[in-house]
Amino acid sequence: MSRATPSRPEPAARKRARGAGGSGPRRPSRTRARHARAAAGFVLPFLALFGLCFLAPLGYALHQSLQKTERTGPLGLGREHESFAGLANYAQALSDDRFLAGFGRVLLFGAVQIPLMIVLATVLALLLESASARGIAFFRTAFFLPYGVPGVIASILWGFLYVPGISPLVKIADSLGLHVDFLSRGTVLWSLANIVTWQFTGYNMLVLIAQLKAVPGELYEAARIDGASARQVARYVKIPLIRPALVLTGVFSIIGTLQLFAEPMVLRPLASSIDSGYTPNLHAYSEAFVGNNPQVAAAEAVLLALVACALSFGFLRLAGGPAGERR
Amino acid sequence: MTNSPVHRRTVLGGAAAFAAGWALAGCSDSGDGDAPRERAKGQKIQLTFWSWVPGIDKPVDLWNRKHPEVQVKVEKVSAVNGAQYAKMHAAIKAGNPPDLGQIEFPVLPGFLLDDGLLDLAPLGAARHKDKFVGWQWQQAVFGRSIYAVPQASGPMGLFVRQDLFDAWEVDTPRTWDEYEAAARAVRKKGAWIETFAPTNGNRFAGLAWQAGARWYATHDDTWIVHIDDEPTRRVADYWESLVARKLVKTIPDRQNAWYKDLQTGAIPAWVGASWGDALLAGNAPGTKGTWRAAPLPQWKAGEQAFANWGGSTTAVFAKARYPKDALDFAVWLNTAPESIALLIDGGYGFPSAKKGYATTDLDVDKDFFGGQAYSRVFAAAGAHVDTSWRWGPGVDTLYQRLGDAFTDALADGSSFRSALAAVQRQTLDDLKGKGLKVASGG
Repeated sequence: MSRATPSRPEPAARKRARGAGGSGPRRPSRTRARHARAAAGFVLPFLALFGLCFLAPLGYALHQSLQKTERTGPLGLGREHESFAGLANYAQALSDDRFLAGFGRVLLFGAVQIPLMIVLATVLALLLESASARGIAFFRTAFFLPYGVPGVIASILWGFLYVPGISPLVKIADSLGLHVDFLSRGTVLWSLANIVTWQFTGYNMLVLIAQLKAVPGELYEAARIDGASARQVARYVKIPLIRPALVLTGVFSIIGTLQLFAEPMVLRPLASSIDSGYTPNLHAYSEAFVGNNPQVAAAEAVLLALVACALSFGFLRLAGGPAGERR
Repeated sequence: MTNSPVHRRTVLGGAAAFAAGWALAGCSDSGDGDAPRERAKGQKIQLTFWSWVPGIDKPVDLWNRKHPEVQVKVEKVSAVNGAQYAKMHAAIKAGNPPDLGQIEFPVLPGFLLDDGLLDLAPLGAARHKDKFVGWQWQQAVFGRSIYAVPQASGPMGLFVRQDLFDAWEVDTPRTWDEYEAAARAVRKKGAWIETFAPTNGNRFAGLAWQAGARWYATHDDTWIVHIDDEPTRRVADYWESLVARKLVKTIPDRQNAWYKDLQTGAIPAWVGASWGDALLAGNAPGTKGTWRAAPLPQWKAGEQAFANWGGSTTAVFAKARYPKDALDFAVWLNTAPESIALLIDGGYGFPSAKKGYATTDLDVDKDFFGGQAYSRVFAAAGAHVDTSWRWGPGVDTLYQRLGDAFTDALADGSSFRSALAAVQRQTLDDLKGKGLKVASGG
């Protein structure tokens, strides 16, 4: 893929750029200092926010996950204080069947829903980017629109379509003699998958379209001159070229799936088949805000982050990674 | 949804306010701004009050008109799935709770574990004791400390669609045996008498309470936990057999599908509590005039065993800056006749105060119940509630465990008894995990 190289600045050009930016070779140290200061000025806001909103909470969660609460006084109603717990919270989380079952559930969810969604997004992107597509702007917006609906609202909307007695879908199915229950133990996971697919297919489609747009037109031209059909162009030119974007959407989807929370949380009051530890995130939430055990919840959050890291990087390695693809 | 759409500016404003609040909180932490103090004469203060009770703003407005110096600001909190308590616990942890909060009886002990509530005894709260129903006052008393002022209770009873029961020639059940027979008769007509909502721990606790269960007790400084005691097992067996014979539904209650079933008569009865009048009238308005309230079915014919579902208190948080004024407000809110009248209008439950109202005042939805003086039913039940029941710490978790265990049992057909045994085990572990001394009862 030598086509990617022109976008990199040539060494000579880079040298020239550096020379033009400086104020001359006479006082290099002062210039460099000024440059460093300017760079720091630009980076600092990012670093400050990154530290405050990412590193600090992460550190605090790690710290919390190693603590336990001890209580004294009659019936434990006296003072409480925190003490070092070692890995006890991790042990408790890992020995909790419900927490582990939640992991199994999101992995199953991801194994089915992510490929389905990415294939759908790819097909839609290819259709909208094909030469014979009509009404592109309308369809692109229409497919992307669900992404603009917050997850909680989407879940409430779909909740109305799932609950028997209210749902027109259930009513229609009933009149056809089909008895569907979207919220039973066996089906509710796929009802959730449907909400997530509805929400994120359009978003992933847009990412893929952006990459398709970056493909130079002469490649298609060359393929067509070589006698490739539209289908062959899609298969042998377009899909290999948008591979980095496919990998990216895959990673985002893996992380999003592991963090599944809003959808099961909203549907929970409607479906007794969703328990308090339906997904790992919901389990951690229940520990923290129902059980009032923030330390165990912190340990669970750390475990969840580790699994998300392992799966994301594992997937990147498996897929070759967007950077490796360039060479 | 009555919420107005969120505009970008609101969000930005919120972010700015958040940043500012953060800065302010940072300042106040270092100073002694949080220390409780006495209000100087003529000083104007504002107290914040977290509540979700419908119509609570009306008595508060009245208080504010009468007490220009002590203004109370109600902040509504969501009561879905215990979200309000999650918020309160988080606020206690973060060090910025409100001055006052609405807290239900069962979850009070959980807040004591957090050091979250102010002991009102040093402020002389004991002198108000006689204004309240004895056992409800006791719910907030731990040792010598008093942690809240009771507001309302929820004596349990049975609501039935009298018109349907008459048409189907089903008598209103007086015992649980008759209830089962009624369930069979209703099922023959194509309806379901009820739903056994597996996640409704509150109601299950009430039913166990009626059967004579004692889930929590204390011995010296140890909590005794006994979720799978004999009476609770009896209740579990009973509902398990109804579920197994498909005489009751198992959908969650108090959500859209259940309301729909109430509206259509697909579910013509409900083992509920006194505050259920507003719930039924509000969510099934088309069935006006057809409902009646009856006493909770008994395990033995002729017995008078009743229980309580719901009921709450007004508590003062440990960080309240003007505890004395907060206590004065809490007592006024729950005892002043003019306040009680407004609370009754809002549908808050059965008053904890002994005086200041007549039972007939509580028949707010009399027309909905075809003119029945239904509050007498609940008043009689309230007088026979077994008052030795105590709540312990971690009830939210217990309810969650119960819900999960019953859900599992429904899915895999295992027995409710084994669910109870599992919950008993888990609850002991949970409380040990919180650093408490616990022992298993029985």
